[in-house]
Amino acid sequence: MTRTTSPRSRTRRRGISAAAAALAAAMLLSACAAGSGPAPSEAGADPVSGGTLTFGRVAAVNDLDLNQQITANNAFAIDKIFEPLVSFDESGEIIPWLADYEVDEAGLVYTFTLRDGVSFSNGDPVTPDDVVFSLNRHLEVGGPLPLTAPIESIEATGERDVTITLSGPYTPFLSELSGFANGIFPADFGGQTEEEFFADPIGTGPFVVDEWDPNGDISFVKNEHYWQEGKPYLDGLVYRFIADDTQLRQQLAAGQIDAIDTVPAANAAEVDAAADTVLSQTESWATEQVFFNTEREQFADEHVRRAIAHALDREGITAATTFDTAEVANVLLPPSILYSANAEPGIALEHDLAAAKAELAKSAYPDGFSTTLLIASGNSQRAQIAQIVQESLAEIGITVEIEQLDIAVFRERFFAYDFDFMLNSGQSDAPDPNGFITFQADPEGFSKSYWTHFTDERVTELMHEGRETPNGDAREAIYLEIQEILAEQVPYIPLFFPSNLKATTAEVQGFAVLPNGSVRFQDVWLAGS
Amino acid sequence: MRTGRVVRVVGRSLARLVPVVLGVVVAVFFLLRIVPGDPAAMILGERATPESLAALRAELGLDLPLWQQFLAFVTQVVTQFDTGDSLVSGVSTRELVFERAPVSLGIVALAVLLAILIAVPLAVAAARGKDGWVDHVVRILPTVGMGMPLFWIGLLLIILFAVHLRWFPVGGVGSGPGEPLRSLFLPALAVALGLAPPLIRSLRAQLLEVLDADFVTTLRAARVPERSILTRHVLRNAALPTLTLLSVNTAYLVGGTLVVEKVFGINGLGTLLFQSIGSRDFPVVQGVALYCAIVVVLVTTVAGLLAALLDPRLRIAPALDAAAALDAAPAIQPAAPDADPTPEDRS
Repeated sequence: MTRTTSPRSRTRRRGISAAAAALAAAMLLSACAAGSGPAPSEAGADPVSGGTLTFGRVAAVNDLDLNQQITANNAFAIDKIFEPLVSFDESGEIIPWLADYEVDEAGLVYTFTLRDGVSFSNGDPVTPDDVVFSLNRHLEVGGPLPLTAPIESIEATGERDVTITLSGPYTPFLSELSGFANGIFPADFGGQTEEEFFADPIGTGPFVVDEWDPNGDISFVKNEHYWQEGKPYLDGLVYRFIADDTQLRQQLAAGQIDAIDTVPAANAAEVDAAADTVLSQTESWATEQVFFNTEREQFADEHVRRAIAHALDREGITAATTFDTAEVANVLLPPSILYSANAEPGIALEHDLAAAKAELAKSAYPDGFSTTLLIASGNSQRAQIAQIVQESLAEIGITVEIEQLDIAVFRERFFAYDFDFMLNSGQSDAPDPNGFITFQADPEGFSKSYWTHFTDERVTELMHEGRETPNGDAREAIYLEIQEILAEQVPYIPLFFPSNLKATTAEVQGFAVLPNGSVRFQDVWLAGS
Repeated sequence: MRTGRVVRVVGRSLARLVPVVLGVVVAVFFLLRIVPGDPAAMILGERATPESLAALRAELGLDLPLWQQFLAFVTQVVTQFDTGDSLVSGVSTRELVFERAPVSLGIVALAVLLAILIAVPLAVAAARGKDGWVDHVVRILPTVGMGMPLFWIGLLLIILFAVHLRWFPVGGVGSGPGEPLRSLFLPALAVALGLAPPLIRSLRAQLLEVLDADFVTTLRAARVPERSILTRHVLRNAALPTLTLLSVNTAYLVGGTLVVEKVFGINGLGTLLFQSIGSRDFPVVQGVALYCAIVVVLVTTVAGLLAALLDPRLRIAPALDAAAALDAAPAIQPAAPDADPTPEDRS
C-alpha cells in the first residue's frame, strides 16, 4: 500500500446535517431490518428504553485495540466502544458522525468540526487534541487497516476544529476515515499505558465494556454520556460466545438469546418462516470468488482461466448453494459499492461449454490437465461449490482434485502462494471501490492481487488514477474499465454476492445491519421491556 | 505396617505420574508443531501483511528455534505449573483452565451419577430376569446406544427436551440459582448414555456370576429374602469391578465431556480446547491436554488404590499391578475387567 502524490484534481464534499442523516438511517433501518420476514415493528411504534440484549456470536472478542485488529469478532465490538469522525449508513453512504466536515476546492484540506456536546464515556468532552492523538497513533501503528491517504499533517485548528492536509488528492479519504480503526479515544490514553487502556477502554461509542472474558463472553452497559439523545435504548448488551452455529439457531429459536450474528444460507428460509424469529437479510460488501494462482503454469495461461469461467454456471452455483440469499456476480465489486458494474450487460463471460472448449483449445492445454482446488474446511457452502466446480471442469477435460484443509493450514498455504486455485471471498471495509480494487488487483500490494499474482499495467494505472479522480462520471468510467479488464482476464471468477444473514427474536426492534456486517445497537430496542 | 505400605504405594503411584506427564508434554508439544498452521496468521486474519506477521511471530516467540521454544515451555511447566499465556487472548493458560474446569467437572460428575442411576437398575432387572424380554431389551439397547456418536445423542436430546418440550435450556450455562444444574443436565445425560452401556454389560455379567455363586445358594437355602440377597450381598460384590470399569473409562468420560460441550454451546474446557486448536493457540492446547492427562492418571490411580483397599483379597502390591494394567486397557472394555474377583473366594 503506497502513498500516492499526483496531479491535482478537485474534490468537493459538504457535510450534511448529521441529525437528518441519523434520522434517515433510523427510518431506513426499521424499513430494511425486517428482511423478508414479518414486519417486527408497526409503523409509529415508539422505541422503549431498557432491557439487555443477548447477541450470540461464533467467535469471542479477544482484543479491543482498534488500530491492531481487523477480524469481525473484534471489529464489531470495537465499533461499539469507539467511533470515527465520519461513518456510513446502511446503503454505504458516507455520513458525518462525531464531526461535520468541509473539503477545500483542491480536495487537499479537510476541516472537521466536532459535534457540540460529544463526550467520552467517562464524561470528559472530546477535544481536537484527542482527535489528533488518535489519528496519529493510527498512522504510527499502521495496522491491518492503515490510513493510506497521503496525509501531510493533522492539526488542532480551533476549539472544535481539526484540519487534515493531504499532500495530494485522494478521493477515498473520507471512506477510509469511516472505518472503525479510526475511532477517537482520549489523548495519551487518558494517562494510562496502552495495555491498561485497551483492557478497559474509553470511547464515544454507545456502549462501555462491563465484564470481559477474552475467550468467552463480553458484556457492555450503556454509555450514559452518549451524544445521540436518548440512545442507546438498551441498558445492556451481551455478546455471548456460542461456538456452534446449530446451537446458535436453536438458542434463538428457544428464546434463550435475542439475536444471532450468523445464519447459514441453508437455514435462512427456516429462520424466516418460524413464528418467533425474524430473519435480517441485507446487502454485504463481500464477493465469493474462485481465485487462480497466476504463477502456476496452467493458470498463467489466460485462455485456461477464460475456459474455466465459461465452464462455470454461476447462476446454477448461486441457486444451488445460497438458497436465494445471494445475487449472481458478474463483476468483482458488489452492487452495494460505489461504481459497481454488476448491472452492466455482457460484462462477464457467460456459461457456454462450446466457448469453454474453444478457449481451452487455444491454450497450451487443449486436452485439459489435472489440478488441485484448495478450500478451507468447516464451510459446507464452499465444499458444495467445490464439487460443482469439479464436475463442471470435468466436462471440458480438466480433472480437479479438491483439497480441503483446516483454516489455519489453508491460510498458511495461500499466504505462501502454495496453491493452484482456491475458493475464498473478498470483503471491503468501506463503500469506496478503491479498497476492494487495491486489495485484489494491486500486484505491488502485500497481497499481490489477493495472492493471485495477477499483474496488468492498465489496471495498475487506472487504480492510481481512481484514487485521485474526484467522484463523478470520470471516476465511474475508471472503475468500469477496471471491472471490464478483470472480467476479461479473469484472475478470479466472481461467483455471487452473499447477503449479511442475521436473525432476532420478534421482540427485537430497529435491528440495523451495516454492509460491513456490523449492527448499530444504539438503535435497537426490545418491545417486551 | 499397613499405613507404611499405603504411603509407599501412593508415593509410587505419584512417581508413575511423572513419566506419563512428561510423555504428554513432549508429545503434545511436538505434535502441535508438526501440524502446519501459523498462530500469527490466525490472529491477524486474511489481510495480514508479511511485516505484521513477522512482527507478531517475533513477539510471540514463534520465530525461535524449536528447542528453545521447548525449553521455555518445559521451564514454565516445571516452575510455574503453567503452559504459558494464550497467544490469542494473552490470558494465562492456568487461569483459563481453572476458570472453565468447574463447568466441565460438573458435567463429568453429573454424568457419572446419571450413568450409575441408569446402569444399576437396568443391570439388576436384566440379571434377575435372565433371558426374559427385559434382559433382551437391556442387552440390545446399549449396543444401539454405543453405535451412536455422542454429538448425535446430544443433538437428539436438544431437539426433544429443549426445543420441543422446553424442559431444559438448549445450551449454555444459566446464571440463576439452580440454573447451571438444569443447563448441565442434558449434556451430562448425553455423556451418561454413552457411558452406561459398558457399565450395564459389565454389571449384568457380574451379577449373573454372583447370583450363581455358592454363597447365594446358601443364603437362599437359609431363606434370606431375595431382595435382601440382592442388595446386601450380590450388588455389593458386583460393585467393585464396576467401579474399576468406571475408572478405566475416565478418559472416555473426559473426552466425551469435551465433545458435548461443543454441541451444547457450553464454554468449558472442551470449547476452549477446540477453539485453541482451531487458532493454533499452542500454550492453551498444551495446557488443557496436560491438565486432562493429569486428571485421568490421578483418577485411575485413586480408583486402583480404592479397589485395593475395598477388596480384602487384593493385597496392596497386586493392586498396583491392577492399576498399571488399567492404564493400558482400552477405553471401553467389555465385561470382566482385570480386577475380577471370583465369587468362590468370598463368604
